Amino acid sequence: MRRLVGMIVFLVVFPLVLVGFGYAAYAVAGLAASAFLSWGLQPAYGTALANVVFLMLVFVMLTATGLTIGERKWSALMQNRIGPNRIRPFGNPLAGLPYILADGLKTLTKENIQPSARSKFLYEMAPVISLAPAFALFAVIPVGPRVAVSGQQVALQVASPDAGLLYLFAIASLAVYGTSIAGWASNNKLAILGGVRASSQMISYEVSLGLSLVGAMMAYGTLRLEEMSVAQGKLLWGVLPQLGFILQPVGLVLFFASAFAETKRAPFDLPEGESEIVGYFVEYPGMKFAMMMLAEFIEVVVLAGVTVAVFLGGWHPIVFEGWLKANLSPLAFAAVCAGAFMLKTIALAWLQLVIRWTLPRFRFDQIQKLCWKMMLPFALANVFLTGALVLADPTLEWLAIVGIVEIVALVALTAAATKAPEPAHGEHGHGGAHAAPAHGH
Amino acid sequence: MSTHSLGPSESTPPLGQQALDAGLDSQEMIVNLGPSHPATHGTCRLVVALDGENIRKMRVDIGFLHRGFEKSCESVTWGQVFPYTDRLNYVSSTMNNVGFALAVEKLCALQVPDRAQYLRVVASEMHRICDHLTMVGAMGLELGAMTAFLYAVEARDLMWDRLTELCGARLTSNYVRVGGVARDLPDGWVEKTLATLDRTAELRDTIDKLLTRNRIFMDRTRGVATVSREDACEYGYTGPCLRASGEPYDVRKAAPYLVYDRLEFDVPVGTRGDNFDRYLMRMEEMKQSDRILRQCFQKMEPGDIAVRDFRYVLPPKPLVYGTIEGVMAHFKLVMEGIQVPAGEVYSYTEAANGELGFYLVSDGSGRPYKIGLRAPGWPMVASMPVVLKDALLADLVPTFDTFNMIGGEVEQ
Repeated sequence: MRRLVGMIVFLVVFPLVLVGFGYAAYAVAGLAASAFLSWGLQPAYGTALANVVFLMLVFVMLTATGLTIGERKWSALMQNRIGPNRIRPFGNPLAGLPYILADGLKTLTKENIQPSARSKFLYEMAPVISLAPAFALFAVIPVGPRVAVSGQQVALQVASPDAGLLYLFAIASLAVYGTSIAGWASNNKLAILGGVRASSQMISYEVSLGLSLVGAMMAYGTLRLEEMSVAQGKLLWGVLPQLGFILQPVGLVLFFASAFAETKRAPFDLPEGESEIVGYFVEYPGMKFAMMMLAEFIEVVVLAGVTVAVFLGGWHPIVFEGWLKANLSPLAFAAVCAGAFMLKTIALAWLQLVIRWTLPRFRFDQIQKLCWKMMLPFALANVFLTGALVLADPTLEWLAIVGIVEIVALVALTAAATKAPEPAHGEHGHGGAHAAPAHGH
Repeated sequence: MSTHSLGPSESTPPLGQQALDAGLDSQEMIVNLGPSHPATHGTCRLVVALDGENIRKMRVDIGFLHRGFEKSCESVTWGQVFPYTDRLNYVSSTMNNVGFALAVEKLCALQVPDRAQYLRVVASEMHRICDHLTMVGAMGLELGAMTAFLYAVEARDLMWDRLTELCGARLTSNYVRVGGVARDLPDGWVEKTLATLDRTAELRDTIDKLLTRNRIFMDRTRGVATVSREDACEYGYTGPCLRASGEPYDVRKAAPYLVYDRLEFDVPVGTRGDNFDRYLMRMEEMKQSDRILRQCFQKMEPGDIAVRDFRYVLPPKPLVYGTIEGVMAHFKLVMEGIQVPAGEVYSYTEAANGELGFYLVSDGSGRPYKIGLRAPGWPMVASMPVVLKDALLADLVPTFDTFNMIGGEVEQ
């Protein structure tokens, strides 16, 4: 009962906290813009600076560190365990939150073991190279809409380059360097295997990652993420918002799977492969290891953010949107939008945790097969189909109809697959694995 | 490292290299997995020569858990061997107890009371479920599905709780004695065990849902490390690994011991002998063990749990403290041991991993003259370099798991 009440309170309070956070972010951005203006500087720089602090350092960092505990807590729930509860500041484990501090302290004070045969410069650089691009990715993600705060137009987005998604691809490709350099520089056979696996996997999946978004680019006719977010608020036939996952269901599935491969988490955690090769970071102690681990979690948050911005309606709250817009002040509505975006992002990060703790790991030839023989053709077909439909009907209504058909087909296929006959009698000639009794011999 | 190098491989050229290509002067990479590595459940070292990630050569380096089991047994009385046998396959210790007790009883020509036989079957089958749960769960763990592993561990610990109530120990049960078993069932134990079996079945089905139909799991295990029926027989496989290859040999059916001929159960047989089949064998055998246990609880009748012959079994304490014959029997059994008639015998039982054989030689004294052990896991481990030739490194770990190498029994 206590737990149930706690969950209900959490479900109400948490979105409100996020909305409050969005409000604060807008206020600070507005203040920074005015301050920069009064100093004779570009107000946009002030906004960007405030957003770097509030969105990247506070929101992304907090979510990523929260995920380290969230992952342990949630996996414990899934596995009938209690999870981290040994640190009790006031006789209460506080849902494991003190572990964030304890882990930080522990990793910072660990002995700094350095393999003697390492490549010194690269070895020290690798954690930095892993962490930095993951952070930089969040710069183009629009957390909230553009709104006037204390006389300045302010958006919760650090930068809005024309290249938009292309910037995203460019920076995402850099992430592979950290991993493979870590594998190479530590001069350990298992680590280099991890590094090689990482480079082959991440470079392959960049192809499908990119192609899966081309459909969305064409449908919305833009590369800028905030324009995509705005476009998703438009209604089709006056009722249905033209959300990314309705127009591009195949794109969403492909993008989410490729994003998983890019974050190197199970079922794509081959570079780590803890039971086989221990991982590309096997030679990294303490905080250096923690940085790589944190980079992974930051990527989880960032890719959840991209998925939300492109496919799940961006910052649109979707439910009660019209009512909210009519009854709230523009700033308050923008804060609600920012809260909705963050909530969706966190929900997607949670979904990634659930998948990570449910599925076993691929083998690397299977991963390549999946990428080049399954996902790439599907992504290409999706690009051609979307192109044709957008050309035929610029109002996107046909695209939405095809998208809904695709969603129904995907759901039906999944349902059929779970009801398929026993695998033992399946197509691979596994007949009779549960064979009849063998009487005597 | 030089002493462990495996030399260049002459057999297959590197992948994608044609006869006319100028070869990149590539070398095989020799990687040590273990002795302390997450994949080697016990302590075992695998020296692997890799070409890319393909295993070109492999050497299994065992012996880190060698404790001189066979030799140690020669210096203790027959009854004192039981704790040593516990440490053979430590995941299913009662089955080793039973195997040894049956061998000694064969030599002594002892007929054990019915109830003792049923109790032995009960403890053995519970341990079989524990052993298979460990293997199935570890299979999930090796493939990165930690959740399945923890479900298996939960079920296994429930079973171990029941076994603790029965035997007094969680892992090393030391439950069986020559001529019977150590103690009878505690009050209310059967009901509790039935509830435990239900919960175990529930968890087993959850694992089944998580893994058996999982596309990734099937792709990872099907057609990997395939062993044909002929090869399996040739290498000397027994147990689930042999049956997975299609040979329906189970000692419980082929040469029934204890009360297995009175119980109804099926022996699952596979067709392909790959990792997936070996996994399925375990899943099905757990169901069959469950069946056997429920039958045992129905068929068991009250009675003696050991022979009433104080040449073999320790007399009850009131007799020891109250009568001169009791003291004498106790003293003789403890100091001199059971007087096993001179002779030699080979006795074999179906342990969790296959045929567990004991070869005993007695010179008529209270201590074994010689003990030889046929460890079920050994032939499988020995065949690994052949089975896994040219396989991928990622497949080595789950294969090592389906062969279920238990350091305690393989390295004795």
